[in-house]
Amino acid sequence: MGALTLTQVTKSFGTTQVIKGVDLAVEDGEFCVFVGPSGCGKSTLLRMIAGLEDVTSGDVAIDGARVNDLAPARREIAMVFQSYALYPHLTVRDNMGLALKQAGTPRAQIEAATGKAAEMLALAHLLERRPAELSGGQRQRVAIGRAIVRRPKLFLFDEPLSNLDAALRVQTRIEIARLHRELGATMIYVTHDQVEAMTLADKIVVLRGGVVEQVGRPMDLYNDPDNTFVAGFIGSPQMNFLDAGKLGLRSARLGIRPEHLVPGGGQIGGRVSHVEKLGGETLVYVASEDHGLLTVRLFGEQDYAVDEVVGLGFEPNRAFHFDAEGRRLR
Amino acid sequence: MAQRKAFRWHIAVFLAPAVLVYTAIMIVPLFGTLNLSLFNTGEEGRVFVGLRNFATLFGDPRWSASFWNALGNNAWFFLVHMLVQNPVGVALAALLSSPRLRGAAFYRTAIFIPTILSFVIVGFVWKLILSPIWGIAPGMLDAVGLKSLFAPWLGREGTALTTLALISVWQFVGIPMMLIYAALLSIPDEVIEAAEMDGVTGWSQFWKIKLPLILPSIGIISILTFVGNFNAFDLIYVTQGALAGPNFSTDILGTFLYRTFFGFQLQIGDPHMGATIATAMFGIILLGVGFYLFAIQRRLRRYQF
Amino acid sequence: MSQARHSTARSLAAHAVLILYTVIALFPVFVVVINSFKNRRAIFADPLAVPTAESFDLVGYRTVLAQGDFLLYFQNSLVVTVASLFFVLLFGAMAAFALSEYRFRGNMLMGLYLALGIMIPIRLGTVAILQMMVASGLVNTLTALVLVYTAQGLPLAVFILSEFMRGVSDDLKNAGRIDGLSEYTIFFRLVLPLVRPAMATVAVFTMIPIWNDLWFPLILAPSEATKTVTLGSQVFIGQFVTNWNAVLAALSLAILPVLVLYLVFSRQLIRGITAGAVK
Repeated sequence: MGALTLTQVTKSFGTTQVIKGVDLAVEDGEFCVFVGPSGCGKSTLLRMIAGLEDVTSGDVAIDGARVNDLAPARREIAMVFQSYALYPHLTVRDNMGLALKQAGTPRAQIEAATGKAAEMLALAHLLERRPAELSGGQRQRVAIGRAIVRRPKLFLFDEPLSNLDAALRVQTRIEIARLHRELGATMIYVTHDQVEAMTLADKIVVLRGGVVEQVGRPMDLYNDPDNTFVAGFIGSPQMNFLDAGKLGLRSARLGIRPEHLVPGGGQIGGRVSHVEKLGGETLVYVASEDHGLLTVRLFGEQDYAVDEVVGLGFEPNRAFHFDAEGRRLR
Repeated sequence: MAQRKAFRWHIAVFLAPAVLVYTAIMIVPLFGTLNLSLFNTGEEGRVFVGLRNFATLFGDPRWSASFWNALGNNAWFFLVHMLVQNPVGVALAALLSSPRLRGAAFYRTAIFIPTILSFVIVGFVWKLILSPIWGIAPGMLDAVGLKSLFAPWLGREGTALTTLALISVWQFVGIPMMLIYAALLSIPDEVIEAAEMDGVTGWSQFWKIKLPLILPSIGIISILTFVGNFNAFDLIYVTQGALAGPNFSTDILGTFLYRTFFGFQLQIGDPHMGATIATAMFGIILLGVGFYLFAIQRRLRRYQF
Repeated sequence: MSQARHSTARSLAAHAVLILYTVIALFPVFVVVINSFKNRRAIFADPLAVPTAESFDLVGYRTVLAQGDFLLYFQNSLVVTVASLFFVLLFGAMAAFALSEYRFRGNMLMGLYLALGIMIPIRLGTVAILQMMVASGLVNTLTALVLVYTAQGLPLAVFILSEFMRGVSDDLKNAGRIDGLSEYTIFFRLVLPLVRPAMATVAVFTMIPIWNDLWFPLILAPSEATKTVTLGSQVFIGQFVTNWNAVLAALSLAILPVLVLYLVFSRQLIRGITAGAVK
């Protein structure tokens, strides 16, 4: 239980279309991440799945049943909001139990469900507190707990980590991944952070301007991007795009990831403009007359001086060819 | 040790004008009034009489009857506001804040219009409308077949006060509406959406989620209503005159104070008894505000979103 | 179109209730204004009809303009309101700045002292205020009214403005200090412009009760030369109580300026009330 299908889904606000015909199938138990720059429509799409926004045209189906006209509460889904959206006047226990209480679940059953979720999230000692008395990380866990208690078919996460500091973000990310394994539930997760997408997802959906650019497993997107947008969006630091014509190739642009550019080769010449030493790796920025600023990622600590002249090489089978419109040439 | 800081003159300069005007025109006269209530006019001018004015106010049957009548009327006046104005205001605000309501700005603007009108206008407008001579009210009742219900409400002892209270409600319902509306808007969308997801919708959403979150605002509105009502004067003076007729049935503390201080018909004005009544009003308002601050406001949680 | 969240029936019901209440709110004003343009017979024959070519009559307005000195009353109201507003805003903002910006001994206490006036109405001091004005010869002057209204408006102004001023970035003020601006310049040049929306809100809230007040004009300045519009129309209507044309015209004249001002400022007013609430 918990498969999601979107068929030619569109959304317009007034005359502007923000979702332009999205088709997508998320299988039961899958962790699916919507990723894209801000304004790409990923949150809108999530809110349409939740029922918080109406669908302009197309169908949203959960487990094969069309849910376009169902109220959010009747879609058997749960959502974790960016701002957590806890009820400030209710205790942690009541926050988690409200949905069940509203549905008329017997009290003992509510108790059991909240107790179990609290245990899972290490919230048991906080059950009588109110949101104002919790830290950011604890609030986040309560928000997740509120979702778990309802045993939904589908979990929706709307940028749930963006209000946490860096350390807590990594920790919560691992926690969410663990929950997904333990619950085996279908999860849809929206983020603009490609690292979150890469680390959490079974399936990544890259969106831009209301259109799906590519759908695939993280490593498929990394190793086999369909276009320059996906190639540039997935992977950090960003992929280098070279002027293929200057290299005597017939494609328009050549994409090479920073780790696949190696110093010492003779194909590309340039000067070092800046060096970032991160300990485990060194990023060397090379200004090339033909291709602009290129990033080279080297393992370990490496010494380069600014203005040093370097030659860069690459293995042809590690390079991606794109046409003038940015489409991948395979 | 750090050097002792020089006196920061600018703080004094910033505070001085407000504090001076406020103290001179508001606080000093307030205490002057309290003080005045301890004196009376004797044979050789003003004499200190201690609490004897209060003894007169509460002990002398002529005074105490008027005082308790005014206080009782005032309490009823306040009660009508609490039971009608505030619930109606909350209901209107709840409707106005429903998502995607078209024309919300128009309704807001229109419903607030009576609030900006002066008591003079409000009083006379309603006096004309309710007047049996003009016949608008009976005419409209007639149109719905209820002509028999009409009575000169403002002219009857039994109905005049309630009618005036309802007129005042009509005038001021915009204030609770606006304040509650603002409070409702400050509830984050995501909390409401979370409630939608949890299946808490419609009325139960209002009772279970929104109402608890706007309780502090309702508390503030209640105390503002209290202070405003126990300080009211204008509407009654305009419609019924200083005598608060018929037969003092609409007399409240404000009109009682005015009459006592300035006199009316044959009785001449008495500043000392006027000050005594003002002091009693001061005490009543202080009691109410104190009760609110210590007994009610402490129990109202303010929530940070 | 599908409506998963919003039912049409519920929104229709909401509109019905709101329209009904809007009619209740506007009806009395509407009745008075339309009848002020009718002749005496039409007023009584059919009070709910709008004026037609036959029933149209300006006799009420002619009576009002011939009898009362409404232009003078209007001028008095304007002077009193504008002057009081100016002092409330200036003094209130200064005090609010001192309270919100500086930490000094007695800060809390001073804040509470100034806030007291929100809860305790100034009217209770009327007896002593009148004696004071008599003693200083200010009775029947507009100055007396301006003083009283300034004192009356200050507590709320200080309260609201200091809340807003706490929200002004400290970095901005400190940048000003590092650039060598005096505390006065920081207040007038940096802080005041930033709290302008709050000032507008305070202005509207201060203005309405001053313009509409009957109590103090009646007690402190009832002379013909210092009557305000509110008092003037009260007296006029009292005298002409049986001349319906005149009464209706006077009421309409009293409503219109306030109404126009309100419609001009209503967005500001509503924005002010809901300030901070809108995300």
